[in-house]
Amino acid sequence: MSRRFGGSQTIKTGFMGFRDEFGRKSAAVAAGAAALAGAMIGTAVAQTPDNGISLLEAKSPLAEEVHFFHNWVLMPVMVGISLLVLALLIWVVIRYNAKANPTAKTFSHNTTVEIVWTGGPILILLFIALFSFDLLYKEDVVPDGKRFVFEGDGAQAAFVMANDFAPRRRLVRRDHIEARVVGREGARDLAYGEDYTLAGLGDDAVTIELKAPPAIDEALVVTGGRSRVGPGKVFGLFGEDRSEIALAPTVTVKVLGFQWGWTYSYPDYGDFEVTSLMADEDKTSPETYKLAVDNPIYIPAGETIRVVTSASDVIHSWALPNFALKIDAVPGRLNEAWFSAPEEGVYYGQCSEICGVKHAFMPIEIRAVNRQDFIKWVNEQREANGMEPVPAPQATAQALPTGAARVAAAD
Amino acid sequence: MADGQPQADMAAEAHDHAPSFFKRWFWSTNHKDIGTLYLLFAIAAGTVGGAMSGLIRWELAEPGVTILTMFSNGDPTAAANFYNVLITYHGLIMIFFMVMPAMIGGFGNWFVPIMIGAPDMAFPRLNNISFWLYVASGFLIMLSLFAPGYGSQIGFGGGWVLYPPLSSTTGSPGPAMDLLILSLHLAGASSILGAINFITTIFNMRAPGMTLHKMPLFAWSVLVTAFLLVLSLPVLAAAITMLLTDRNFGTAFFDSAGGGDPILYQHLFWFFGHPEVYILILPGFGIISHIISTFSKKPIFGYLGMAYAMVAIGFVGFIVWAHHMYTVGLSVNMKAYFVAATMVIAVPTGIKVFSWIATMWGGSLTFPTPMLFAIGFIFLFTVGGVTGVLLANAGIDHYMHDTYYVVAHFHYVLSLGAVFAIFAAWYYWFGKMFGREYREILGKLHFWMMFIGVNLVFFPQHFLGLQGMPRRYVDYNVGHALWNSVSSWGYVVTLVAMGVFAWTMIDAFFIHRKKAAANPWGEGATTLEWTLPSPPPFHQFNELPRFDEKAQSAH
Repeated sequence: MSRRFGGSQTIKTGFMGFRDEFGRKSAAVAAGAAALAGAMIGTAVAQTPDNGISLLEAKSPLAEEVHFFHNWVLMPVMVGISLLVLALLIWVVIRYNAKANPTAKTFSHNTTVEIVWTGGPILILLFIALFSFDLLYKEDVVPDGKRFVFEGDGAQAAFVMANDFAPRRRLVRRDHIEARVVGREGARDLAYGEDYTLAGLGDDAVTIELKAPPAIDEALVVTGGRSRVGPGKVFGLFGEDRSEIALAPTVTVKVLGFQWGWTYSYPDYGDFEVTSLMADEDKTSPETYKLAVDNPIYIPAGETIRVVTSASDVIHSWALPNFALKIDAVPGRLNEAWFSAPEEGVYYGQCSEICGVKHAFMPIEIRAVNRQDFIKWVNEQREANGMEPVPAPQATAQALPTGAARVAAAD
Repeated sequence: MADGQPQADMAAEAHDHAPSFFKRWFWSTNHKDIGTLYLLFAIAAGTVGGAMSGLIRWELAEPGVTILTMFSNGDPTAAANFYNVLITYHGLIMIFFMVMPAMIGGFGNWFVPIMIGAPDMAFPRLNNISFWLYVASGFLIMLSLFAPGYGSQIGFGGGWVLYPPLSSTTGSPGPAMDLLILSLHLAGASSILGAINFITTIFNMRAPGMTLHKMPLFAWSVLVTAFLLVLSLPVLAAAITMLLTDRNFGTAFFDSAGGGDPILYQHLFWFFGHPEVYILILPGFGIISHIISTFSKKPIFGYLGMAYAMVAIGFVGFIVWAHHMYTVGLSVNMKAYFVAATMVIAVPTGIKVFSWIATMWGGSLTFPTPMLFAIGFIFLFTVGGVTGVLLANAGIDHYMHDTYYVVAHFHYVLSLGAVFAIFAAWYYWFGKMFGREYREILGKLHFWMMFIGVNLVFFPQHFLGLQGMPRRYVDYNVGHALWNSVSSWGYVVTLVAMGVFAWTMIDAFFIHRKKAAANPWGEGATTLEWTLPSPPPFHQFNELPRFDEKAQSAH
């Protein structure tokens, strides 16, 4: 946890596309990036298939990890083994064809090489496993990260957080905690040891003690949780650590597959329903035809989204390749998955379990927008369903103490 | 291996009294004749299944529902249904009616008894029943193809896995699915009877002195396969019987509205389905071992390791089934177990690949057609194997599951693995089975065209999968057009290669007409079938070959 860029939801908006350009100097810059992304909504479309030969662009920290696993762990192993076998075959064909080697040898055992080609693959598999299980658990365990905001008064340096996570999900290691200070000039990541120390890890309450107390107009923002996603240092040694603690879901989207489309509902917002069917050809561009839908759904960018799937007739499967997400929608069962879209944009997916004659024609389209626009869309849906609008975004965001407004403003 | 059996003795026994045509081919109890029948059956099924894949690739050559509307009076919905039907029956026919009959029924029947020095199978009449049940099963599946399925559409279009509720009355109310279930019941019964026959034959009828640890690897592979069949097919039978009663008699095993669970079916299906894919490939392992050894003029490297690698693959094959189900909503710990168990399979498989290469190492290699197919098999199976290791990892399978990456993977191990093994075996034993020589130049042309063709078909499908194209799609986004088009052109090349194969056979039987020698492959061919004339006499080994002390002292 060398750097703390993530933390606030809106800052995450700039996570992918703008990080390199703007660096991670201040929240203000990131906020600018977020505004830019917001302006680009509608045009900033996720990569659609382009006749390429690689994975579709990763659009979340977790998907980046999947890409890393594929591109730098599995591909080298697969290509290496295939080329090794090919090279050996070419060699024996050249060296041991009947002309080059008229008399065959008669050996049929060699304990050493047999041990090598049994042990070698085991080591390679262990190497893969090092990454594989970590990735699997990150994907499948819905994050439960929490944010604590403490007002600075210029004097208090120690702050107490409740460690009231589920058993086995408690904060017990120092990388389960990230801290930063947000002020008028922006945000500043704190480093463990240099800037703060922790006490009571694993107990009912954890105390964070800062070397320098936050000033009166500053707030200490602490994120706690075990779901650390995004590419970290390889083996904890190499490369840049871009991982961050994922927060608990803020929005739940219920996904109901049917022959042949998707019905979405938002239980957090009155359970209004949106039915998505494939958009007609004349309402799409050639690139998005068979991917775009008539009623796309909206999610708040940068927030963790819980997806709950089921189906009303046969099995369907809800997939978003940009987030390496695929979860079956099975009648009579509820499946849970999660993702987050740090970058605002339009993302596509397709039904991925054969479900009848129009299986190829029930795509998925979601739009990640900032929270204001998300609430605007939610209220449009609520109005159409005869419900009162929900209040302004801040109150529906994470239940933050009084510093919340300032955090949001700094973002 | 086959010491002390001069060919002359065998030839002297060849005063065969082969029965009349009808008796010989319809009431057949002779393992070689039944083997030939299975091979003819597999060729017929392969032609149908291959034609179906032709329609699939033609439809997918460009975006839009394009050519299948020709079969549906222009109705795109019926065309899409026909597409789903095609992919379903292509899979079922290729698995149950092409690869299995060719490998086990065909080559297994032909050569297991000969290789172990037995006069015939243990239960010759059971053998006959096995074959004709298969014919009945094939008849039912073709009938199912033309019976009503979904609405007014014919056939069942839900993939070879037959997942409910798509295969229950919810998704496919018509009788097509019922006929399909009955067809699979018969095919399963046939395979179980055949497997019992092989197990009994191999355990009880080996020539004197041929211990299991001296038995040729092809017989080993069929033995392991037979055990997989006996242990896995009843589970399939249970699953599809429950499906049948769900459909017709008001039960709710897989109907959540009645307290059942569709996922139960998937567990049962894949408990059969995963061993099934090893059933398809294991006999190929045995075949490839013989061919590599023969044309390297060297005994197989690490014989015991090779035999027990197959046993290990067979065993582990039973405890990895849910890696086909990573997206259905399994708990994360369960997925983690199946990831670990699945990756283990790479170890015995690696042992086999490296042992084949080690067999060639130091050998004196010649490259007739069967050897080309065998070497092609090793490389292509390796490619299919490494993508299998990738798919074993649930963390990335959440991306790859049900995309063309999976299609590419299993066609590399089956279409380019099992099918290459079948062609290798066909050319290897062609002279032995039919007493005719094929023309090498034609066989080699067949190999090279097919090698290029199938790679063109299936390699680009990895790219389609990486680009997120879901499988079983009749139509796709323009961003998937390029590699689909390449894949379809690959089919054209493969089709020409199949034409070359057909011509090679016509040439061998009717034009070339050269009589095959008892052992055309020379000193490297050491198993018992090469001690017999080509074709072997109607009954072989009236006097059993011996591998015990008596045979040794005869020298």
